[in-house]
Amino acid sequence: MASVELVNLHKSFGTVEVLRDLNLQVSEGEFVALVGPSGCGKSTLLRILAGLDEASSGDVVIDGEWVNDLSPKERNIAMVFQSYALYPHMTVEENIGFNLRISGIGKPEIRRRVGEAAQILDLSELLKRKPSQLSGGQRQRVAMGRALVRNPDVFLFDEPLSNLDAKLRVQMRDEIKRLHQKVRTTSIYVTHDQVEAMTLADRIVILDKGRIQQVGTPTELYRHPANAFVAGFIGSPSMNFLDGVLSKNSKRATVSLADDTKLRFPTTDNLPAEGNVRVGLRPEHLQISKGGKGENTLRGTLELIEPTGAQNLLKVGIAGQSLTAVDNTLAELSINQPIEFSIEADKIAVFPPN
Amino acid sequence: MSAIVESSTDSLSARGTVRRRAPDKRRVLKKRLMPWLFISPYLVLFIMFTAFPLGFSIFLSFHEWNPTSGLDGMNFVGLTHYADIITDPWLWKSLYNTVWLAIVAGVPQHLIAIPVAYLLVSVFKGALRHFYTATMFIPFITSTVAISLIFYTIYSGNSGILNQWLLALSDVPVIGALFAWVPDAMPIRWLSSSALIKPAIAFVVVWKYTGFNIVIYSAGFLTVSKDLYDAAEVDGCSAWQKFWHVALPMIRPFVFFALTLTIIGNLQLFEEPFVLTAGDSGGVAQSGLTASYYLYLAGWEWHQMGYATAVSWILFLFIAVITSVHFYFNGRKGMGGDR
Ligand SMILES: Nc1ncnc2c1ncn2[C@@H]1O[C@H](COP(=O)(O)OP(=O)(O)O)[C@@H](O)[C@H]1O
Ligand SMILES: [Mg+2]
Repeated sequence: MASVELVNLHKSFGTVEVLRDLNLQVSEGEFVALVGPSGCGKSTLLRILAGLDEASSGDVVIDGEWVNDLSPKERNIAMVFQSYALYPHMTVEENIGFNLRISGIGKPEIRRRVGEAAQILDLSELLKRKPSQLSGGQRQRVAMGRALVRNPDVFLFDEPLSNLDAKLRVQMRDEIKRLHQKVRTTSIYVTHDQVEAMTLADRIVILDKGRIQQVGTPTELYRHPANAFVAGFIGSPSMNFLDGVLSKNSKRATVSLADDTKLRFPTTDNLPAEGNVRVGLRPEHLQISKGGKGENTLRGTLELIEPTGAQNLLKVGIAGQSLTAVDNTLAELSINQPIEFSIEADKIAVFPPN
Repeated sequence: MSAIVESSTDSLSARGTVRRRAPDKRRVLKKRLMPWLFISPYLVLFIMFTAFPLGFSIFLSFHEWNPTSGLDGMNFVGLTHYADIITDPWLWKSLYNTVWLAIVAGVPQHLIAIPVAYLLVSVFKGALRHFYTATMFIPFITSTVAISLIFYTIYSGNSGILNQWLLALSDVPVIGALFAWVPDAMPIRWLSSSALIKPAIAFVVVWKYTGFNIVIYSAGFLTVSKDLYDAAEVDGCSAWQKFWHVALPMIRPFVFFALTLTIIGNLQLFEEPFVLTAGDSGGVAQSGLTASYYLYLAGWEWHQMGYATAVSWILFLFIAVITSVHFYFNGRKGMGGDR
């Protein structure tokens, strides 16, 4: 086990700057998820960490040691690839034991450790098969086994579940979490799926356009997003954004929407300057209300109902824009009827305009 | 559930309103004949130029026939030709030469092509790689006769550039010591000594076909996904181990394919030995006589067409047996069952 630190990391491919001025600390045994949209540099970051790519500038420190010049092997990291990258000509047993064999470890020892890893991952029955004879989920477990068998200092995962179907993804997610609770190896987990990140990680790093947008626990990111990107990225369904105009004094702040609806809430330190702003309202914080005279009531027209079973997603036209609301009460509603929502003052987020 | 039941009793066929067309004989016939119509041009050519000659050559191998005497000059001799072949020393000699050349002119092609292709694919990118690959492919698309004629002059005893180079090397300080024997051995008769002619032929064959194999193996190495090399690197492989444990096993189907082509091609070697021995009965002591060369001599020099076709069928059986052995031992893995 080891800590991992990235210091002022830059990476460019030719003139394209992929990572900019990246600083990150991961402590021993921690499970950190790196999330961001496709193409934001997650894989590049992981490859630099693994030693498969070189940073343009900046340092990689593993376990207090500067490792910029070390090969992947010398860094003692293990990596699970999105494509699994299993060797098709080797059996499951040979795939899992390959790195031990390359390290010159004896046959009986390899057999024992491969057996252990297979036990943990429920692969014991499949050891003699070739990857082509396995299902997607089984291949994924072999890829995990290959990483697990070597007792690495750090686990790196590059979107390991994105090739699985939804049900299997949830199942493997739980297995990964259980595995980490058992072995407690420092893990860095790349995904573009924020739900995966939220459920698995101790801390989440949000990456966009090569920069870290925010680092925090899942709850912190959900409650106090640092900017509109993070706010929109975390949470499902994602946050609604409405254009408005902010005015404030030292105690109270007000946002007026296009239809003259007023949202009022206490002034906080990190409110943007007065004028045009974007208001963020989470779908699950919008409560259906009736004849509300109280503050913070939004009125609109119901455009669409999307049932998901336990809850209905309502698409509502409000102030000339379209919003999503979560209705846990499964109220009997009809399309095009007028509808009213209220929101608590402390659930209103305000961000600077684009 | 109830919705599904309802809709099925409600469907078009349940209500008997689906329109059915009566079977039409002409449509059926047309459907049957069309495919044959489309492949008939090929079929005609195939029968004329492949199937018929094949059958005729079997027929011919049981006859004695000098083609200059016309079709009337054919005499049925039964299995006489095949019986003669068993005791024909030139035939056995030519088969020995053929196998010798197949191995000596075959193995180096692959020992060179595999690493060169690997380096090409892993070191060079895009246009530069295409340029190098194309360059190495040129010998393959050049006329074998032209190449053989050029090598004929290169190998020439007195004026050939090869001997001139060897002489020049013996004068170079330091490495000249390695070539001190050259002036005494001059002129080295590459093409007219029974010991040197086979290696000389083999070199030309290797030179001509290695580029072709490089192209095949480059294509093979390009199919190996970069992820596998990355995984191997994370697993701690050195550059050599990546080649040996990952790249090489991954191109097995390509090795199998290229080896098959080499085996079949080398067992039919004709132009190179024919030109390099000036078409003169296989060179000194028939040291450059291959099986194809021999059947050419029998048919076109000695006008024994029946005997020549018998030799060609023996050569066919020989190639079939060797290729089957190759398929038996290498076929399963070679066909790429892992992917
Ligand atoms: N070898 C490369 N050469 C040039 N550009 C690259 C290379 N690898 C990645 N990129 C670019 O870097 C950016 C980040 O890629 P990547 O790290 O794979 O994104 P992610 O994994 O977050 O989807 C992309 O815009 C991609 O086009
Ligand atoms: Mg990626």
